[in-house]
Amino acid sequence: MNFPKYPKIAGNRLTLALILAMIAANAHAEVVVIVSAQSPVTSLTAEQTARIFLDKSNTFPNDGAAFPIDQAEGSKARNEFYEKVVHKNPTQLSAYWARVIFTGNGQPPVALEGNVTVRRVVANNRNAIGYIDKRYLNGSVRVVLSVENND
Amino acid sequence: MLMRNSSIALLGILAWVANAGAADISQPQLTFGGFGSFGVSHSTMSSGDYVADGSIPRGPGLSDFLSTANDSRIAAHMSAQMSQKVSVVIQIDSEYHTGNSYAPEVEFVNVKYALAPDTSVRAGRIALPTFLESENRDIGYTYAWIHPPVEVYRQEPASHSDGFALDYTLHDGSGVHSLKAMIGRASIETSDAATGDSMTSKNLRGIFDTSEYGPAVFHAGYLQRDTNSGDFLNGQTGAWVKDRDLSFGVQYDPGDWFAKSEWIQRKSTYKTSAMYVSAGYRVKKFTPYLTYAQNSQGSIISDYPAPSAEAARLANRAQRTTSIGMRWDFMKDTDLKFQLDQVKLSDTSNGFLANVPANVTLYGSKFYVISAVIDFIF
Repeated sequence: MNFPKYPKIAGNRLTLALILAMIAANAHAEVVVIVSAQSPVTSLTAEQTARIFLDKSNTFPNDGAAFPIDQAEGSKARNEFYEKVVHKNPTQLSAYWARVIFTGNGQPPVALEGNVTVRRVVANNRNAIGYIDKRYLNGSVRVVLSVENND
Repeated sequence: MLMRNSSIALLGILAWVANAGAADISQPQLTFGGFGSFGVSHSTMSSGDYVADGSIPRGPGLSDFLSTANDSRIAAHMSAQMSQKVSVVIQIDSEYHTGNSYAPEVEFVNVKYALAPDTSVRAGRIALPTFLESENRDIGYTYAWIHPPVEVYRQEPASHSDGFALDYTLHDGSGVHSLKAMIGRASIETSDAATGDSMTSKNLRGIFDTSEYGPAVFHAGYLQRDTNSGDFLNGQTGAWVKDRDLSFGVQYDPGDWFAKSEWIQRKSTYKTSAMYVSAGYRVKKFTPYLTYAQNSQGSIISDYPAPSAEAARLANRAQRTTSIGMRWDFMKDTDLKFQLDQVKLSDTSNGFLANVPANVTLYGSKFYVISAVIDFIF
């Protein structure tokens, strides 16, 4: 089937521009690891954070109980967090939890839907730790690790 | 992979969010799930069966041109967090084993009680962590291979202990160390004509350590048990023979690739050792890998009465395998794997081949096994 030449190119350019804009938007969707503003924890390394989210440790380095909160499977924040901080893609993470759960050695974190919900639950519990898109930060939570520092 | 029962988990979370000051989830949580594999394999050796484990009665080669026996199974898992301190896990699986059946069996069931955040005790049927992939050896989805290297993993035929475990986790600035100490008994399935359908081990004692430093994992284990194998190993009716297994493993997995190696020394009425090295590279959804595995011919330990012909045969078996394979994560929670093994039997044994007719010697033979498997979790 023959389509007119110019509209096709224009259409492709428009698509390309949209894709580029989305890539640019994604590139700025930085994820930050947060605890409640009432928490005594001030900073964590990627390694310490990964241990808590992989159920290898259930305490913060200062020995306080740590309760990790995930974002929903497939969410942008979750994929970014696991890729940059934990160094696992969704398939590797899935295989990891199959191993841990089915051998009775642990349980994955509770997952909540959305940056706002995670921020609210973390803000209200001094033992909680979560991660959100940086744009959703406010004074109720404290950043303990920024993902861009760990590239 | 969503294994939590979502409605129950949601109730837990709502209760927890409501008590935002509390540190724990006080609601019981239930997790249901399972895993499975469907595999077929063919062996070019037509005078004996290639079996991945001593409990499998027949396989590809002599008995079957194509066989699903080695790598097919399905398992259901349930865990329940009853309170902050008490949890229960149960796993039931069905795979081809002794008695030529897929009859379901309780792979493990145990109750865990947390004495402290880093210390817990378990009671019940508990998986033995002899090797890096022992506890999860049935879950093909958790590793790259079709199955763990047989020369090494067959050295410890006991997969679980009925008894107690003490688990301790220590994390310092550099790594996470988990220590497991176990006591119990074990029943070991076997399809060897000389031993009957099963053997029993008592006075089982084991200590296992896994240390993780970022992408590096070190594993060490020691297990000893008394097995009622005196009858066929040296003709001492009712005698219990002490088995001692010492194992070490190391793994490096930064994400894009992995390399691992394990070694075991095994002593009963004979002493032998086995090792493998394996490495793979992850390219998008594909993981090609290479493995070399071997076990050495055993030497009879002189402390025991003279070995039976069967004991001499068991001690003597040795083989080495070079494998090339590929894992393809073609859809969510599901993979497809292909593997080609070149197996070389030692010059004085039939290796681990099963059902070789009594008058047949295949010493020094070389053959190929080709396998395909789909693994999934749910």
